Amino acid sequence: MVDYAATQRIATRPRARARESSYLRNLDWALLVAVGGIVAYGLWMISGITKDDVAGDPNYYVVRQAAYALIGVAGLFGMSLIDPGFWRKHARLVYGLLVVVLLLTPLFGTSVRNTRRWIDIGAFRFQPSEFGKLLLVIFLAAFLAERGKRIYERQTTTAAIGLAAVPVLLVFLQPDFGTAIVYTAILGAALFIAGTRWSQVSVLLVIGALVATFVLWIGPAIDVEVLKDYQRQRITGFMNPSRDPSGSTWNITQSITAVGAGGVRGRGPEGATQTNYDYLPEHATDFVFASTAEQRGFVGVTVLLLLYLLVIWRAIKVITLARDAFAAIAAGAIAFALLIQIFINVGMTIGMAPITGIPLPFVSVGGSSMVANLLAIGLLQAICVRRR
Amino acid sequence: LASRPGPLRPGRFLPRDPRVEAPYRLTPQLVFRIGILGFLTFAAFAVLFVRLWSLQVLSGDEFAVAAQNNQLRVEPDYAPRGPIKDRYGRTLVDVANATAVKITPAFLPKRGAYAKLRRLARILRVPLADITADIEKQKGNPAIPVTVKEAATFAEVAYLSELPGTEFPGLRIEETTVRKYPFGDLAAHVLGYVGEISPEQLKSKRGYELGDKIGQGGIEASFDKELRGRDGLLQYRVDSLGRPVSEIEQQELPVPGYAVRLTLDAKLQRAAQQAVIDGINRAQADDKWYARAGAIVALDPKDGAIRALASYPTFDPTVYIRRKKSDLAPLLDPEVAEAEIFPALNRALAGAYPPGSTFKPVTALAAMQEHILTPYNSLPCTGSYKVAGQTFNNWDPTANAPMTLPTALAQSCDTYFYQVGKAFYDLPPERKQPLQLWAAKFGFGKPTGIDVGPETSGLLPTIDWKRRTFTKETDPCCWEVDRLWKPGDSIQLAIGQKDMLASPLQMARFYALLANGGKLVTPHLVSAIEQTGASTGPTPNVPLVHRRYQPPAKELNIDPAAIEVIREGLYEATHSPLGTSSGVFGHFPIGVAGKTGTAEKEIDAGTYMRTEDTAWWCGWGPYGDNPELVVCAVIENGGFGGKVAAPAALQVFEEYFGIEATRVEAEEAD
Repeated sequence: MVDYAATQRIATRPRARARESSYLRNLDWALLVAVGGIVAYGLWMISGITKDDVAGDPNYYVVRQAAYALIGVAGLFGMSLIDPGFWRKHARLVYGLLVVVLLLTPLFGTSVRNTRRWIDIGAFRFQPSEFGKLLLVIFLAAFLAERGKRIYERQTTTAAIGLAAVPVLLVFLQPDFGTAIVYTAILGAALFIAGTRWSQVSVLLVIGALVATFVLWIGPAIDVEVLKDYQRQRITGFMNPSRDPSGSTWNITQSITAVGAGGVRGRGPEGATQTNYDYLPEHATDFVFASTAEQRGFVGVTVLLLLYLLVIWRAIKVITLARDAFAAIAAGAIAFALLIQIFINVGMTIGMAPITGIPLPFVSVGGSSMVANLLAIGLLQAICVRRR
Repeated sequence: LASRPGPLRPGRFLPRDPRVEAPYRLTPQLVFRIGILGFLTFAAFAVLFVRLWSLQVLSGDEFAVAAQNNQLRVEPDYAPRGPIKDRYGRTLVDVANATAVKITPAFLPKRGAYAKLRRLARILRVPLADITADIEKQKGNPAIPVTVKEAATFAEVAYLSELPGTEFPGLRIEETTVRKYPFGDLAAHVLGYVGEISPEQLKSKRGYELGDKIGQGGIEASFDKELRGRDGLLQYRVDSLGRPVSEIEQQELPVPGYAVRLTLDAKLQRAAQQAVIDGINRAQADDKWYARAGAIVALDPKDGAIRALASYPTFDPTVYIRRKKSDLAPLLDPEVAEAEIFPALNRALAGAYPPGSTFKPVTALAAMQEHILTPYNSLPCTGSYKVAGQTFNNWDPTANAPMTLPTALAQSCDTYFYQVGKAFYDLPPERKQPLQLWAAKFGFGKPTGIDVGPETSGLLPTIDWKRRTFTKETDPCCWEVDRLWKPGDSIQLAIGQKDMLASPLQMARFYALLANGGKLVTPHLVSAIEQTGASTGPTPNVPLVHRRYQPPAKELNIDPAAIEVIREGLYEATHSPLGTSSGVFGHFPIGVAGKTGTAEKEIDAGTYMRTEDTAWWCGWGPYGDNPELVVCAVIENGGFGGKVAAPAALQVFEEYFGIEATRVEAEEAD
């Protein structure tokens, strides 16, 4: 008996070790290091940017942000341990959860500056639409993966669009125009990776262009207002910011000035007058990139952008490692969602994209965004670990 | 070949249908699409990098300057304005420290700005309409602060300082200086006031900026350059709401303005102002209801230094500091001003009145110079004078005696001067118009050149002037007749009536010429520009004079004998039993000579035109070789000069010589 038990133990040990080692070996370490680098860099930036924001407590924001980062990192590793098949199996539940939470947000949400995006739970205020990005990725990936053979049919494409339209509209009505754009980008990327026909992809692109034209141009001309006034002004304002430096384009002008003033090496946290004297609006959230650019200059933002590029490159790499269609679509949608968020956020601070209030992933102050994005990286790692 | 799948199973939400699941492969198609995603990624980052390169590396320096200018505010540190002093050094206008409340329109919120301003208006007790009007006026420059209240009280400032900065974004509380008037309304017209520069002034004047204060009339305006000093420069940093975030750095120190020393005597000025009011009251007591305004000029006949310059109605100069629209309306709003008979108008300089009999010495002097009048040959003084079918009446219809020139002046015989006027008319055309030529030499029909403005030229009617003025357009019914110079024109001009107009200052200048023996002086108010503060010179208590003003008097080379005859007549006018103001001046211990005037003037009585008499008295004292003071008094619509204007002038002499008249019997005499 003793021998038997001994042989059992001897037999199991190498197998457990093998499982362990394959997990660790298969983790995408480059992705982890890049994300960790961005989070650390972001915390360093936030500490410099927000030092004067709360009187008497220079570390107010950075401490909170670090706590959320820790939660997020724990979530990342937790997520990487779960087999992606689990999410695929419960995709319908995930969709139901997404819609219910987005429906509840306007009902029980807290209103901040005339938008209802947040729900208070105890001392925490969280933003369901941030987590919604991940939920939407999981659902769409599962939905499209299950229809591999019918993916070329128009019916499938319209069904996917129709199902995704519900959360998009709910977010749009909060109103949160920026997140609605991200959701739409997730839908587009999922369809694209799933293998939707080129003809349908191009039709969708044309429709998207027409809708944008209508919302921004023709609609206001015939008194159909889809966007709120301030939204449209901010979106159209980025095209010619010098027209009205004190009005709707004030933010853009100040942001571009801040970025430009950073120069090559930056002005440092003390010399960054645009940030410190509040010329830059929302310098810790939406415009955190401009503050970074002002304080750390071209050198500093190059480091940050290269880290982002590394993250997205690794995410795209994960698509090729995926063991099934669900994993591939999910990885593709996450990669594109990150890309669109980074591009719009950075672009708006330098006058290349409309001001829409999209946070900069892993850097902008905000717990929901930080945790949700780290969870998305966790899903990528889960896919990577259980590769082909 | 993939078999075509059947329809989806109905009944459950999004049923899982194993038949449509495809086995997963990394197809070339998928690899191509992943490649596109990768390409998009690199393209997006490339675009961002290029833009950041251009902003930060290529234009970084420009943006650094822009960011610096963003928060650097350079402001003038306003220099304290110099004081204005009277001839004895009494400070007529001073500066006092005050706290101004300003608001920068650019920092007002887009929405709710009106509510904020309303609240501010209530706190500062300033009419809201005043604030919005000022902001509207400065629409093009929203970054320049608009003054809401020039001199806020301590309580108001304390309350505003307690409020959080977000309550009134762009609110500024500034230590400034404002004008202080220790003598109240004394010489308000002469001194003028200080106000913010208007957009029109900004265009026409150099060296001023928006928000600067500038003299807006009187001495303050004419000597603004001297009084204002040189502003210093302050520099500090502000945050996005315009709140200072750094210490204020003094870049340049302000240089205080010079002091302006006037020729005025504050005590004489006060007496003159009171004399005008008393004259109006005297006229009112005599049922002259239209007597509501008047002016007095007192000057030194030797050099034209003005000792008093009174005009009524007047105003309280502090209304320009309080800036309440209802208080300012009589001064600025044309309609209200008309109802209040133009209190801002300085009648002593800018009021043009028919001079009436005070003009007779001009006629007499001109006639003697032209040898058409022999002073001691008598002309008949009758009740009326007929010429060319027209009858001209004497003011005293009972008069009937031959008179020499001095007597005619003393008793102000109109018919005597009608004959002189007719003689001028009868001169051959090649003699031109000698009466007008002499009057012009004496300064009539043109500005006197006094150092404050505005002043009127008056009106000296000539043949040319009539031809220019009466045309088909201006006088459609009768221009062909009206444009001709007729005997009546010369006859009326001889007694200063009909078209002739003169300001009290022009009149006083002419009487100075009589008093000083034929020199035409330039009336002036400023005697010197002085250094302010303690003098470091050898005599510490004597102010250091920066510049002195003594405009030269012009010798007209008039026959001294002719002037002597006029003087004699004007002395008789104040001393002989039948002199027109003997009752007023006859018993005054100092010899005063002068002439009354009662000039008919058509005035608009609302619904009809009526004729009222402008009361005049002009003269000087002491009589003799050393005259010290010329006084000219006018009471608008006051009636007889002898009854209303002469006593007013006497009050000025009383103050000047420090002697009170014992017996005054004002009489109804022209």
